[in-house]
Amino acid sequence: MKLVLHTQPEVPLEAEVISPDFLNGKTADEVAALTLFHGNNEVPLSEFFDVSGEIENAHIEVEGDLTKVKLLGHKMSDGSLTIKGSVGAHLGAEMTGGEILVEGNAGDWIGREMSGGRIIIKGDAGHLVGSAVRGSATGMLGGEIIIQGNARNEVGNGMRRGLIAIGGDSGDFTGVNMKAGTIFVLGKLGQRPGAGMIRGSIISTQSAELLPTFTYNTTFQPSFLRNYMIYFRKLGLDIRKEYIDGEYQRWSGDSLELNKGEILLYAD
Amino acid sequence: MSEESKVIKNAVCTFCGCVCDDIELTVDPAGKHITKANNACVLGKAWFLEHKVEDYPVALIDGKEASLKDAVEAAAQIFVSAKFPAIYGLSDTTCEAQKEAVAIADYVNGNIDTTTSVCHGPTGMAFQGVGESTASLGEIKNRADFVMYWGGNPAEAHPRHFERYAVTAKGANTPNGKDDRHVAMVDIRPTPSSLIADTFLQIKPGSDFELLWAMRALVKDAALDDSVEERTGISKAVLEELVERMKNCQFGVIFFGMGLTMTRGRHFNAGALLELATDLNQYTHFVALPTRGHGNVTGADNVVSWQTGFPFGVNFNRGYPRFNPGEYTTSDILGRGEADALCVIASDPASNFSAKAIEHIKKIPVITLDPKPTVTSSLAKVAFTTATYGINVPGTVYRMDNVALSLRPAFDSPFPSDQMVLKAIKERVCELRGLNQTTKTTAA
Repeated sequence: MKLVLHTQPEVPLEAEVISPDFLNGKTADEVAALTLFHGNNEVPLSEFFDVSGEIENAHIEVEGDLTKVKLLGHKMSDGSLTIKGSVGAHLGAEMTGGEILVEGNAGDWIGREMSGGRIIIKGDAGHLVGSAVRGSATGMLGGEIIIQGNARNEVGNGMRRGLIAIGGDSGDFTGVNMKAGTIFVLGKLGQRPGAGMIRGSIISTQSAELLPTFTYNTTFQPSFLRNYMIYFRKLGLDIRKEYIDGEYQRWSGDSLELNKGEILLYAD
Repeated sequence: MSEESKVIKNAVCTFCGCVCDDIELTVDPAGKHITKANNACVLGKAWFLEHKVEDYPVALIDGKEASLKDAVEAAAQIFVSAKFPAIYGLSDTTCEAQKEAVAIADYVNGNIDTTTSVCHGPTGMAFQGVGESTASLGEIKNRADFVMYWGGNPAEAHPRHFERYAVTAKGANTPNGKDDRHVAMVDIRPTPSSLIADTFLQIKPGSDFELLWAMRALVKDAALDDSVEERTGISKAVLEELVERMKNCQFGVIFFGMGLTMTRGRHFNAGALLELATDLNQYTHFVALPTRGHGNVTGADNVVSWQTGFPFGVNFNRGYPRFNPGEYTTSDILGRGEADALCVIASDPASNFSAKAIEHIKKIPVITLDPKPTVTSSLAKVAFTTATYGINVPGTVYRMDNVALSLRPAFDSPFPSDQMVLKAIKERVCELRGLNQTTKTTAA
């Protein structure tokens, strides 16, 4: 099934119904009649989208400049959602399975509190990728988020499990308050990575300025990185050979917490 | 009108967050302006003495003079036809008016945000994230023997903070005022405030978080790398001595300003400072308080919190309150071009928001309530002139330590109060939408 945005929303459009779980088994007409929130107005989906085709293999394609459209793929558990264009905030929030592919940029809060499935962004992402909501201590619980471009601040804020890979640079406070899980940044880390981290791994192929509560341990060749890097190559990230075979500095922290987190920085 | 000047004792100054309630005002016999403001600081004197009731129209629609009734109607029409109406400002008005504004946001399923989002909003987020150890300024005056100011310049921004509450003030356990206290100041440059400090740490710009993290490590006896001096400009030895002093005081307090909350790191900076205060409670009694700017910005946080559950950046689009700074804060929704109507109460976003946000303000219908013309009111579709709180309007305001105080106005104004205008708009909105005001819990 294909949904094409025909009218640009004036104010944010909340479209959590555009998710394979919700659309499965519905005809194009039934989908067109579903309700979206355009600001404080309830409107039928057809007011903004042309719907065509039938759902096959739980696959949905959405096309257009969707930067003002929020919550696509909300709570999805299965199937696949392909977005041709840039997308707004809360993409794949609380998703538990399935795959989202964005052929453009994405807004803030991608995959917030997700626990399974995979999100791939071919462009850049906003703030708080795979993060907790404000007031909650726990972010992403599982699954994978792959961003080929850059991401902004607070990547993986409070994450407990799962994998985030950023092809470009990340913003400040990458992996802040993380409990566990893995964050790869192939570009540069912003300021203060891993502040308040308890466990987990943050890996960067560039040098970084770390907080004074991180201590240097050793330089070694982590064999597990090899598997990850080869996996990222398959997912479309550009991985140089030296990052696969090279040595990495290991720093442990945050000493204000358990000191069991690690930051690995490529040592050239 | 009597021939004698009227004197108002214990009047309340609403210029800054100190909300001094010991001002003695003398009003001229004609009851048109204040001639004396004893006890007020230089900012307070300017606030009271320069206030005059000027001859503005009570309301303008599209820049043309209009009656109050017509302007209320026009404002209500803007609210009910908008899909994403945003209400902003609120820090320089009474709690009673703030309450009406929240009710309107609820009835029109709009967005409500206060100037907190551009000053101590990060502090509000940090309170939610890590908690708050706090005290009233009275308790601090009577007990605190260690006082620290971080990223603020109270000598110029809150001139009576030192004498009334925290430095030279004499209290039950601090009978000798400053001699009974150790005063520490952290800033990126010397200021008039830092002259009074016993310890002044001049840190490298943008290194607040690193310094706070290093101090926390020393308090908790955790591993600390020597790079701290290179990063912050403060040696480990100086920090160790300071932290030792903090651990050994009887009652410590850290006041923090926008130098901490509005620099890179924002809510994490505020959170780190609050956590430092929490960590120090392993050793002694320690509290941390933001030094709030506007007269009733603390009231705005309180009112929006007790009516919606969240302090600022609250959205009612779906009929229930949602809080998300960055998503529902006014500078962001305007910057992304999301709101389709804006109501500004006692603030001037058109003069201090980003160019993108101001560009959007020019495209949408704006309602303003302000005692004086502002840049925003000059762009407004509907502009109300309202009476000034504290000078003309009675009501409740909150001091920066969340203590509620009642205003004692000096003289009457020909203009309506913010509360009267907002209440009239609210009632008209309810009529237009066919709502029964008693059915919603947040109704005034």
